[in-house]
Amino acid sequence: MAQTTLEQRPAGGHRVSQWALAWRRLKKNKVAIAGLGIVGIFIVMAAFDRLVALYPPKCILGVSPACQLDGRLHSNSPPGLAYPLGTDITGYDVYSEIVYGTRAAFLIGVGATGLTMLIAVVIGLAAGYFGGWMDNLLMRLTEVFLVIPFFLLLLVFLQVTIKLAPANTGSIWLVVFVIGAFSWPGAARIIRGEVLRVREFEFIAASRQIGASSYRILFRHLFPNVLHIIIVLATLQIAASILTEAAVSFLGFGAPGSNTWGQQMYNSANYVEQAWWGTLFPAVFVTLMVMGFNLLGNGLRDALDPRLRE
Amino acid sequence: MSIIKYVVRRSLFLVPVFFGITLLVFSIERLAGDPVQLYTALNPHINEAQRQLLRQSLHLDQPIHIQYLSWLSDLLSLNLGFSYSGGSVAVLISQRLWATLELQLIGLTLSLIIAIPIGILSARKRYSVLDVTITSSSLVGTSIPIFFLGVAAILIFGYNLHWFPSGGFQSSDPSRYLYHNLLLDQAWHLFLPATVYTFAILAPVVLLVRSSMLEVLRQDYILAGRASGLSERSVMYKHGLRNALIPIVTYVGLYFGGLLAGAPVTETVFNWPGVGKLFVDYTTQLDFPVIQAVVVIITLMTLVANLVTDVTYAYIDPRIRLE
Repeated sequence: MAQTTLEQRPAGGHRVSQWALAWRRLKKNKVAIAGLGIVGIFIVMAAFDRLVALYPPKCILGVSPACQLDGRLHSNSPPGLAYPLGTDITGYDVYSEIVYGTRAAFLIGVGATGLTMLIAVVIGLAAGYFGGWMDNLLMRLTEVFLVIPFFLLLLVFLQVTIKLAPANTGSIWLVVFVIGAFSWPGAARIIRGEVLRVREFEFIAASRQIGASSYRILFRHLFPNVLHIIIVLATLQIAASILTEAAVSFLGFGAPGSNTWGQQMYNSANYVEQAWWGTLFPAVFVTLMVMGFNLLGNGLRDALDPRLRE
Repeated sequence: MSIIKYVVRRSLFLVPVFFGITLLVFSIERLAGDPVQLYTALNPHINEAQRQLLRQSLHLDQPIHIQYLSWLSDLLSLNLGFSYSGGSVAVLISQRLWATLELQLIGLTLSLIIAIPIGILSARKRYSVLDVTITSSSLVGTSIPIFFLGVAAILIFGYNLHWFPSGGFQSSDPSRYLYHNLLLDQAWHLFLPATVYTFAILAPVVLLVRSSMLEVLRQDYILAGRASGLSERSVMYKHGLRNALIPIVTYVGLYFGGLLAGAPVTETVFNWPGVGKLFVDYTTQLDFPVIQAVVVIITLMTLVANLVTDVTYAYIDPRIRLE
C-alpha cells in the first residue's frame, strides 16, 4: 500500500523494507529478470567498451594504422572472421562501432529521461498538491503538450538548429534536450493522479496538523510515496527516448558526427541492398536495449505496485 | 450535465489548444530566420526589388503580431499558400493524404482483427502457459521498432526473395504493372508495408484487450450471467467483450493522431508517398509552408479524434458526464 518507504516489522522481529519486498517480488518475475540481465550486459558493454570491441573507435579496416589487417580497404565487406558483423561503407567494423554506440545510447536514454522526469515530477507534485487554479493551469498546459505532434516538431527543431548553428550539429545533447523537453506530459499526469491519491491519507493531514510546512510535506511525505511510480515511468521512458533518437537519426535528422546506433543505420541505409549488415545490426541492438528497459520497467511496475497484481 | 453541454464544453477547450499550437508552429518558422531568405534560397538570381515585393506579399513589412494573424486567417480560410519550391501546399498534401490514410487504416483494422481474439484468449486462460507466452511475446513486440521490422522484411521478401517490391506505392512504369493491372500492382506494393505496420502496432493492442477483458470479467454482472446459466460464449462475447471494447475504442481514437505522427518513419522505410514522407522531405529543405500545414492538420485530426472519443465515451458511459 501507500507506506512504501515506511518499514514493516514482521513477526520474526527483523525489519524488512518495502524495497526489499519489491526486490523479492521482482526476482520471481523471470521476464523482468531477463530485462535486467539485458540492461546489465549493456552496462558492462558501455563501461568496458575498449575491451569488448575488436578495434579502436573509427578505425578504417586496412587503412588506419591500428587496424591494418592485410593492408587492403575493407569496405562493405560481409560478416567474416576478422569482422563478425561485417564492415560499413567507410570500412569501420560494424561490431566495434555498435559497442562504442552503447555509451551514447545510455547517455541519450538517461539524459533525456532525467530532464523529462524532472519536469514531470515538478508539474505533477505542484498540480496534485496545490490543486485549484494551479492544477487547472498546469493540466491544461499538459494537455496542449499531449496533442502536439512531438515527433514532427522534433524533426523541425533539429533541422532548424542544423541550419542556424552548423557548428553544434556534432552534438547529441541537442537531441537529448529536445526529447526530454517534450516527453513529460504523460508522466506528469500519472504522478499528479498518484499525488491526489496519497494527499488524502491521514498521515498527510496529521503532519499538516502538527505544523509541517508545504515544502516538508511535498518532499518528505509526498515525494517518497510516489517514488515507486517515478522509477517505473523513468525506466519505460529510457526505452522510449532511445527509440525516438534512433528513429530521428535514422531519418537523417540526428547529429552527423555522433556514433549513435540510429546514426550508424542512417550512414549505411543507402547501401542496404549490397551491405544489409550495416543497417540491420545496429537496429537489432536498438531493439535489444529498448526491450531490456521495457521488460524491466513492466516487471518493476508489478513488483513496486502490488495493487496491480490483485 | 446533458450530453450536449458536455460536447460544447469539450469543444471549447479545443480552441485555446489549437491556438497554442499555431503560435508554436509560427514562432519556429520565425526563429529559423528570414522567410524571404528561405524562399529565395533556390533562386540566387533574384534582385532586391523582387525581394521587397515578396516581403510585401508575405506581409513581412508589418509588425509580428499582424503577421501571425494574417497567417492564421489564411489558415482558417483554408488557404495553405505555396511551398518555397513553388507547388500549392493544399495540392501537395491532398495528393499524399490518401496513401497515408490507406496504410494507417488498413494497419489499424488488421491489428484490431488479430489482436482482439488473441487478447480475449489470453484473458480467458489467465496465468496459463498460453497466456504467459502471449503476454511476454507482446511485451517483446512493443519493443521492436518499425525501422527494424521494415528493413528486415524488405531485405528478405524484397531484395532476397523478390516476392514483393522493396518500396513505393505503384510501379513507375505502366508496362511493369503486375498482370498489367494498376489495382493489382498497388495491392502488390501495399502488401509488405501493411503487413509490417500491422505487426508493429499489434502488441500494445493485445495487452490492452487482455487487461480490459480481465477487468470486465471480474465484474458482478459476469458472475450473475454465469450463475444464471448463460453459455460461456454468451458471457464472453455478449457481456464481456462488449464492455471491454470501451477502453479499446478510446485507445484507437486517442492513438490515431499519434499513429499519424509516426508516419514519417514507416513511410520513409517503405518509400511510401504519404504525408509522413512529404514531411520528412520538406523538413530537410526547411520548407515552412508545408511543415506548418502538415503539423496543423495532424494536430487538428488529433484534436477531433480526441473529441469524438470523449463524446463516444460519455455517451456509452453516463458516469463520465456527471463529474
